[in-house]
Amino acid sequence: MSELLTGAEILCRALVDAGVDVIFGYPGGAIMPFYHALPDYPRLRHVLVRHEQAAAHAADGYARAGGRVGVCVATSGPGATNLVTGLAAAHMDNSPVLAITGQVSRAMIGRDAFQETDIIGITLPITKQNYLVQDAGDLADVVAEAIAVAREGRPGPVLIDVPKDVQNQKAEYRDPSTRARGQGARPTPGASAGLLEDGVRKAARLIAGAERPLLMIGHGVILGQAYVEVRALAEKTGIPVVTTLLGISAFPDGHPLHLGMPGMHGEVHVNRAIQHADVIIGIGLRFDDRVTGNTASFAPQARIVHVDLDRSEIGKNVPVAVGIVGDARDVTRRLLAAVEPRRCERWLEHIRGFTRTRPASYRGDLSPEGILASIYETSHGECTIVSDVGQHQMWVAKLYPYQRPNTHITSGGLGAMGFAVPAALGVHLARPNDTVWAISGDGGFQMNMAEMATMVQEGLPVKMAVFNNGYLGMVRQWQQFFHGKRYSCTPIWSPDYVKLAEAYGIPGYRVKDGSEVAGAVARANAEPGPALVEFMIEQEANVYPMIPPGGSLSEPIEAEPAAAAGD
Amino acid sequence: MPSAHTVAVLLDDALVTLNRAVGVLRRRNVPVEGLAVHPSGTAGVSRLTFVLKADAVTADRVAQQFHKMIGVRSVMVLTDEDPTTEARP
Repeated sequence: MSELLTGAEILCRALVDAGVDVIFGYPGGAIMPFYHALPDYPRLRHVLVRHEQAAAHAADGYARAGGRVGVCVATSGPGATNLVTGLAAAHMDNSPVLAITGQVSRAMIGRDAFQETDIIGITLPITKQNYLVQDAGDLADVVAEAIAVAREGRPGPVLIDVPKDVQNQKAEYRDPSTRARGQGARPTPGASAGLLEDGVRKAARLIAGAERPLLMIGHGVILGQAYVEVRALAEKTGIPVVTTLLGISAFPDGHPLHLGMPGMHGEVHVNRAIQHADVIIGIGLRFDDRVTGNTASFAPQARIVHVDLDRSEIGKNVPVAVGIVGDARDVTRRLLAAVEPRRCERWLEHIRGFTRTRPASYRGDLSPEGILASIYETSHGECTIVSDVGQHQMWVAKLYPYQRPNTHITSGGLGAMGFAVPAALGVHLARPNDTVWAISGDGGFQMNMAEMATMVQEGLPVKMAVFNNGYLGMVRQWQQFFHGKRYSCTPIWSPDYVKLAEAYGIPGYRVKDGSEVAGAVARANAEPGPALVEFMIEQEANVYPMIPPGGSLSEPIEAEPAAAAGD
Repeated sequence: MPSAHTVAVLLDDALVTLNRAVGVLRRRNVPVEGLAVHPSGTAGVSRLTFVLKADAVTADRVAQQFHKMIGVRSVMVLTDEDPTTEARP
């Protein structure tokens, strides 16, 4: 019989054995045995955040940028509940995150003990799987299985809840079983080879017969690392490519076949292309309502080929002509082999005819476009952009020229304000050689700005940009368009961010004029540690064009409505 | 007029699996009319049965949500017209 370890030690060892090297967490009563064991496992670098929400977002950022499972740890009760927003964000965007929470001792569960909460019950709808561990001897298997579940198939968050007495219980460390490592009994989504080939043949026939085909690619192309295959498919067939918010950077900006982002804030020519397409090949996207607008009028002429790893996505939001269940890379490779070379010059010419001059969304010369161009140029493109949620998120999605795959990271499905700064901590640790810019508005930045302390304590040189317009800008824009300009509770006061950064020992710069942008960005990039740049942008700038919620992609708002109607 | 579909799910008889399964019905706003859990006859496996007032497409969509759930062994959709349709995995 081998040496007995505590449950906490088994937990640490299982994490090491699974290849985990970074943990984002925050200690507390019910997770103390784990923190007691942690220093004996120096392979596990612990990053002490300032709020558990940040731990979950950081683990999410780490997972998205690194392609590995991100791990966060919290205590029971409030520690666990603070993880919830981050887990929901990871769930909506299919990010493999492992959350480990302390729980009150087994004998106390169900007795409303101090800092007891039913985190399993709370997180059921926002995790792929979760486990309440009742015996320390199960921990190694549970960790191995949880990590396999988080990353396999359609990725997502998994939670392990470990009662304090189980963390203290002694047990033997057993190498995780084969089943736990992910080669066992779990159902793997996917189709039989015959069904797959049949779908690919049908799709190839549709492509061959199409006059106005369109590729729509989403996060599945990034998760499946199908960049080369998708580009080859586009180039072999001449089919133009649309990238959803989470598909941005899966196809290089500036490529002659790249059209841009569709949907609520998509460019006019992109949405018109969708509305005129006769065949749409959707790879790794879920035809979210922000992409489709009103589904009844979405792509009215198109027969849709939908490629998705998750069978339940096929036909969920839009009716499809051909559904192919499979991995984006594998299916695209098969499609590439099945299609004949062709060109779509007339169709591309047609789409170019839809192109509008982008309406100016700002006055003066301190433009989002100029700021983002400056960040791109001063970092020579070697930069990963993490955005928050709101108007700046749309500018960052549309105006930054992404060249390298997976260099745009944002909370798309959940749309969690406060995401950028903590997620950037994880992105930096996954990509230490990249310059990482966390771009936020003044609203989202104030939600998690305490993480500046984490950057300093842990030596994480994240560059922060705050687009300060004195408003919760996207909500204000909706109020302007749809609520008769009634700016209810959207003006937002900010502290002096430069002084605030300085209080944390972080250099801060305020930019009021376009001429100061390049200098400030260059100074921030040159700092060895974190830096903050506040951009005092136009207060009432809007994101154009805009499809009203529930509206048709054919009817964008392209300029300020002449008379804003009440709702 | 939507017809009635009976969906039978064989799943691990762990409370958390049952909780997750029933949670999917609530979370996806599925129009469930009746719901029952029985032993399946196989040790460690329960049978969750519910009736949906919905069209066949909706019933299939619900079945797909169960197919991808860890701990679910099989999903059967039974209709008046074709009582032996097995949902495609």
